[in-house]
Amino acid sequence: MLFLAHFLFRPSESALPLLPSLQVVPSILRWWGGAAVLALGALLAGRVYCSVLCPLGTFQEAVWRAGGRRLSGYAPGSRARYWTLALVLAAGAAGVSAVPALLDPYAAFGRGVTQLLRPPMAGGIDSLAGFLESRGLYGIISRAGRIPFVPGLFWGTAAFFLVLTLWSLRKGRPFCDALCPVGTFLGLFSRSSLLSVRFSGENCTGCGLCGTVCPQRCISVKERKVDADRCVLCLRCVDACPGGELALSFAPPGESLSRRGLLRTAAGFTAALGLTLWSAKKDGTVPAGASSWDEKLPLSPPGSKSRGNFTKKCVACTACVTVCPAGILRPSLGEWGPEGLFQPVLDYGRGYCQYGCTACGDACPTGAIESLEPGEKQLVSIGKARFLRRNCIVRKYGTACGACSEHCPTQAMRMVPFRGNLTIPELDPSICLGCGACEYACPAEPKAVTVSGLTVHGKIRPLSGGGEGPTVAPLEEFPF
Amino acid sequence: MDRREFLKRTAVLGLGGAALLLPRSVRRAFGAGEGLPGLAAVRGGEPGEMFERGVAALGGMERFVKKGQTVVIKPNMSWDVPPERGGNTNPELVERIVRRCLEAGASKVYAFDHTCDLWRNSYRNSGVEEAVKRGGGVVAPADTSGYYQKVPLPGGRALKETAVHELMLECDVFINVPVLKHHGGAGITMGMKNLMGTVWNRGEFHAKGLHQCIADVSLFRKPALTVIDAYRMMTRNGPRGTSERDVTLLKAQILSTDIVAGDAAAARIFGADPKNVSYIRSASEMGIGTMDLESLGVERIAL
Repeated sequence: MLFLAHFLFRPSESALPLLPSLQVVPSILRWWGGAAVLALGALLAGRVYCSVLCPLGTFQEAVWRAGGRRLSGYAPGSRARYWTLALVLAAGAAGVSAVPALLDPYAAFGRGVTQLLRPPMAGGIDSLAGFLESRGLYGIISRAGRIPFVPGLFWGTAAFFLVLTLWSLRKGRPFCDALCPVGTFLGLFSRSSLLSVRFSGENCTGCGLCGTVCPQRCISVKERKVDADRCVLCLRCVDACPGGELALSFAPPGESLSRRGLLRTAAGFTAALGLTLWSAKKDGTVPAGASSWDEKLPLSPPGSKSRGNFTKKCVACTACVTVCPAGILRPSLGEWGPEGLFQPVLDYGRGYCQYGCTACGDACPTGAIESLEPGEKQLVSIGKARFLRRNCIVRKYGTACGACSEHCPTQAMRMVPFRGNLTIPELDPSICLGCGACEYACPAEPKAVTVSGLTVHGKIRPLSGGGEGPTVAPLEEFPF
Repeated sequence: MDRREFLKRTAVLGLGGAALLLPRSVRRAFGAGEGLPGLAAVRGGEPGEMFERGVAALGGMERFVKKGQTVVIKPNMSWDVPPERGGNTNPELVERIVRRCLEAGASKVYAFDHTCDLWRNSYRNSGVEEAVKRGGGVVAPADTSGYYQKVPLPGGRALKETAVHELMLECDVFINVPVLKHHGGAGITMGMKNLMGTVWNRGEFHAKGLHQCIADVSLFRKPALTVIDAYRMMTRNGPRGTSERDVTLLKAQILSTDIVAGDAAAARIFGADPKNVSYIRSASEMGIGTMDLESLGVERIAL
């Protein structure tokens, strides 16, 4: 429920942003130690993460319970999940972020909420607000605001959730069991976990009730065993067992830290470490902007440091898209290349990056966009404006304008004398943030100023006079 | 003159004649405004206090707001900057005006602005939203085209029609409360330029000639009162400003029943000749108001 709220509303000053950092993929991407902590957790308590923290797992279980369908008992674990995990690790190591992004359960859930649930909810809120306003009641509820609609992402997400819903109704937690790379990763460690569900004594009558309530279908009554690498510790079986045979218990000493368990653990660690060290490695690309007026490079949010850092760490969960108050972040459709599908990109057709705002970085769970203080953010240059004088209204029609300079927070676009009383913009790239205010405000067609992204973000020189106060000069006499 | 026009004029003349028969005190209460100055210039005080003195000199708030009327106040809260930066109208001034309107018997006082920066941030960080609420008024959003209605601008030279905020059509009294500051495009911004925040299509102004559009939009609805805040005056890098160094603490205020005269007076305070500010000159030629301050009657007040 908390995750639902996290993606539905715009969490600002709440503790909610902490939630995503409890998620496996985001925390590994943010800090490689996250993998170690989670692996240790799995060694201790198995895949409890899947039933307690994972929003997609909770979703599947809720769907299954709502359907009320009993399951048919034990089914052996699928091989496909190991291939999925291998594919995700390989793709991650090769920098093809789209694969982990599409299969990470946390990100998939986030996309489901922002793409499928939020739009109708926002529509409802907005029409209610409109109804109240038409009766002169302003400000009772505020409008939810729209997030960009990307057809490919919407339909893809809709299809994913339709399939998952139907599948879950029949099979419990099919994604967790058969596909999830996170679950499979944790399963490597939970096989030898300290705490697990097991058959405790000799009271089992073989009634098979436990099997019908197990969403992972991992309890074999015949062999009297629970597959610990698949069990998510939902404890439904413990509740269902009439004889009190199944119980959550600690493993007897010696069994848990077997040689095989240790080896497996070591292998898992190495893989995770390799992946995370790789993604932590410095981005070797040199700062570069567009080379010509026509070439327009995509822009990544302030705090994402560079195109390389951003596309590597982003899982396309769309949390930033939801919180952006200007609504200028939208899932990309090829701007970052096919491997960066749906990773957000800035779109200045809808607005511009607000000078004092740091919402996207605060919302990002993976560190793809780092959280910045407003003061830091106001020095980060994510792109550069290019001014094409011949398109400018002032030059073309000889009338006053200055919309670009009006909106420019640093006065990188500054009005300088032109003909007669007219003034025309002049660009100082050294203090340009690439925020897009000028491009958005420019009324010329085609635009006289556009912003192109920087592959590695830069820093502008600090604007002088930050701390100094106003000139105190009260009016001495009226000049009329 | 068609029939409708004739009836209208007759009614106005009749009412005017009837008004002249009433005692002076009653006439004043009904806003005939006879013998009262049309412009008050105040200096040397705090924003709220200067407003009190200024509006008293113009005949009190009752001259502009009658019992049961709805009022729209149009401050400038277009930028996501704090009050010290002088980018928006002074919150203390706005609060005082809202309060006085309600005391004069207004049934409801609204405030809105079609902002440049994101509206939620600008409303909040300008301090104006909070000030309106403190005063007892209602802050209305103006961020989507749904709030705007198309109106003709007969006599407009560059702009023949535009879409204005619905509250501009619905309210009984309109009070314009701009801030005086430097403006990269228009030179100086004050009363008439502030009306750009009542229309939906701001971009069109820039595309069709900023100065003439500013004058044209002033045809739509003349404010009963224009209060120009010159407590903090941004002297450069306007209209947004980059730091407090762009601001001069001037402690002045202009109150005017004529928007053009108010702008002319404010332009002089800014250090410009109103004749050189194109939108003031155009508006005066179009008969929207006068640049001749003395014809209105000026009250000068120093605190």
